[in-house]
Amino acid sequence: MTEFFQTLLIPFQYEYMVRAMWVSALIGGTCGFLSSFVTLKGWSLMGDALSHAVVPGVAVAYILGLPFSLGAFVAGLLAAGAMAFIKAKSRIREDATIGIVFTFINVVTGAIWARPIWNTWWTWDPRLVTATIMELIYIAYMMLRQGIDDPDRRARFSAVYGIVGFISVPITFASIRIFRTIHPVVVGSSDPTALGAFDMNAEMRVAFFFSLFTFTLIYITLLWYRLRLQQQKEKIEERKLRALST
Amino acid sequence: MMFQEGPADTLNYMIAGYAVILGTIGLYIVSLIMRFRSLRQDDVLLDEIEAEQA
Repeated sequence: MTEFFQTLLIPFQYEYMVRAMWVSALIGGTCGFLSSFVTLKGWSLMGDALSHAVVPGVAVAYILGLPFSLGAFVAGLLAAGAMAFIKAKSRIREDATIGIVFTFINVVTGAIWARPIWNTWWTWDPRLVTATIMELIYIAYMMLRQGIDDPDRRARFSAVYGIVGFISVPITFASIRIFRTIHPVVVGSSDPTALGAFDMNAEMRVAFFFSLFTFTLIYITLLWYRLRLQQQKEKIEERKLRALST
Repeated sequence: MMFQEGPADTLNYMIAGYAVILGTIGLYIVSLIMRFRSLRQDDVLLDEIEAEQA
């Protein structure tokens, strides 16, 4: 039994461990106090999101050779600012519904394209899987918004989820460049010395840019009408409240 | 050259792709129109209620 306790006390023989214990105790006490305040204010989800948002900041600090705390602080500050901005200012919901429509088109027409080219409707390819996950994240965002009645909580939770869910977008874009995949890299070929490139030829480039232009116009038009619809809905809600109160 | 086959016939797939694109965007536009109409009906109803209250 004595040996067991002696084993437990071994870390305290090292000065750096004793310093780490003191720092952990002080930080734990401070964070515990702040966490109680944050939880009572209903910001506990914000705290969870921020604690994960600082991780990329730490990674960037490591790559650049900077102190980890600096990277974490900057990343946390940016994430908190982005969440506050989205909660207060952005019309992300209207944007997201059009995103669901376009991503659905992307996944389904991708399968239609794949059938004659790859001889299969679906394959567990990184690009296909990440695009489908991105679509499901969009749909979950809409379901989250539908499920919360309180407007302030809804805006806060949506902002946090929107920030975290957005990470799926660069992952989907970069998936064909990071992983070994059957999907061609047509925008900026990965290896110019590779035998048989999948770069776009001149006709493909014309079709691609024309389609990009067309779908951008469609997106802007749909977004404009969706925003108008939302503004009408908010005016009607205000009038209903006024009519009920009189 | 004698045994070279032409490109694959993908006309059906192209039609299916256009059908998905136009169908999905069409459905979304129809849903927007229906929601606009519903809001307009609410607007008319609220005008009547406000007229009665005035």
